[in-house]
Amino acid sequence: MNGVNTDASFDVRTPVSDGEYDIQQSVPLSLDKRSSSSTVQSTPEIEKKYVHRVYDAIAPHFSSTRFAKWPKVATFLNTLPLGSLVLDAGCGNGKYLGLNPNSFFLGCDISGPLVKICADRDHEVVIADTVNLPYRTGYGDAAISIAVLHHLSTEDRRKKAINELVRVVKKGGLVLITVWAVEQEDRSLLNKWTPLNPKYVDEWIGPSSPRMRSPSSFTMQSIPEMEENVLRERVHVSGKTLEPAYLTSQEKDHSVAFENGMDVENQQEYFVPWHLPYHRAEVGGASSCALANGLAKKDDKKGAVVYNRYYHVLVSGTESVVVVDRFFDKSNWCIILEKTC
Amino acid sequence: MLSSNIKGVTSGFPLRIEAEKVVEKQVELNAAFLKNMFTKIEWKPFVDASQAMGYAELPDEAEPSMLKFDEFLQKFHHALLELHLEEGALVCPETGRRFPVNKGIPNMLLHEDEV
Repeated sequence: MNGVNTDASFDVRTPVSDGEYDIQQSVPLSLDKRSSSSTVQSTPEIEKKYVHRVYDAIAPHFSSTRFAKWPKVATFLNTLPLGSLVLDAGCGNGKYLGLNPNSFFLGCDISGPLVKICADRDHEVVIADTVNLPYRTGYGDAAISIAVLHHLSTEDRRKKAINELVRVVKKGGLVLITVWAVEQEDRSLLNKWTPLNPKYVDEWIGPSSPRMRSPSSFTMQSIPEMEENVLRERVHVSGKTLEPAYLTSQEKDHSVAFENGMDVENQQEYFVPWHLPYHRAEVGGASSCALANGLAKKDDKKGAVVYNRYYHVLVSGTESVVVVDRFFDKSNWCIILEKTC
Repeated sequence: MLSSNIKGVTSGFPLRIEAEKVVEKQVELNAAFLKNMFTKIEWKPFVDASQAMGYAELPDEAEPSMLKFDEFLQKFHHALLELHLEEGALVCPETGRRFPVNKGIPNMLLHEDEV
């Protein structure tokens, strides 16, 4: 087994006295040095705190809100050959498992509670990490990753996850990936999200996220062979104006509120609040544990336990084998890859 | 079809099954899927796995032509989809690392020092 030094792992369970979380206290600064030596497959602390533990705690509530199936995903699944084996990496509550009765689905998610919900619905699932899939190479006929990659905090990890998706499908197999886009169709949503202060981005994610720093990286890469589609996708960011040609008139209002004077268009790291109603907060003690750790703040006005999920909202940029299709759908960037060898 | 993904392991397949509790489920037979899966699986480890779960009806060797026969298709279907490991473990053939299976769900997550 690998001889990685285990004192690189740091468990930040320091309870904060007044219930409000102070990120500064709990994350050791030495993390920055460590992140270069720990592998891309080991889970960064920010993901453990703000993704894994949060989903574990909100699983049933989250699941009850996830029922609408995106037509584009449904189409992809329904056009697969008869008898296909489909791997759903980051399956969440299993919304898409079994969607096509002619295919066989194998789901995995890092959240035990979410996987349990799938198993209770009689799906074949395992608990696994999308950055390190436990499947044999070239086994699946297709793989899907729906709204998953934006939970990975570094570009390297996202690349690894994409490579994993490609690895586990056969030659000629298809991979569908969707992620939240920075160019949200509903700009008012962005106002509810708390931008992650650049200071913390540095500490937690390190300099390996170049996109955070350079506004020029916002321009979309075009794919030569899809020129006619690319026209619609080209998003030009100059100063404060976001001008995607095909978004609806809502977007004409460019006066998006800026937090602390930060330019929203250059902002990619967000906390997205999740409001968990009090009566749902009985989830196995995880809520009280989260409160103690300062992960959640009691919001008495709204009568809910507010969790902050960490979302890294991505600008589309893909490393692929062959891109079969690429589209923007309901504030999500979607891509279909085909494994060519 | 699961394989050990511990870093440094060259051949994480097949995972050995330690069966503590096996459950039989009813699953609808999908011939197209079975034919597709037949080409993917390695028969010998599959037979071993089935036997570890208490099912010994599969022939030691098999070829695609056998898929024409209902009886074979049924047995294959039963072993592949209807036998469920409820409690037990999947064991890495190279390192002996146990991946626990609880309530039918294998936990394939690696520890910090295994990635």
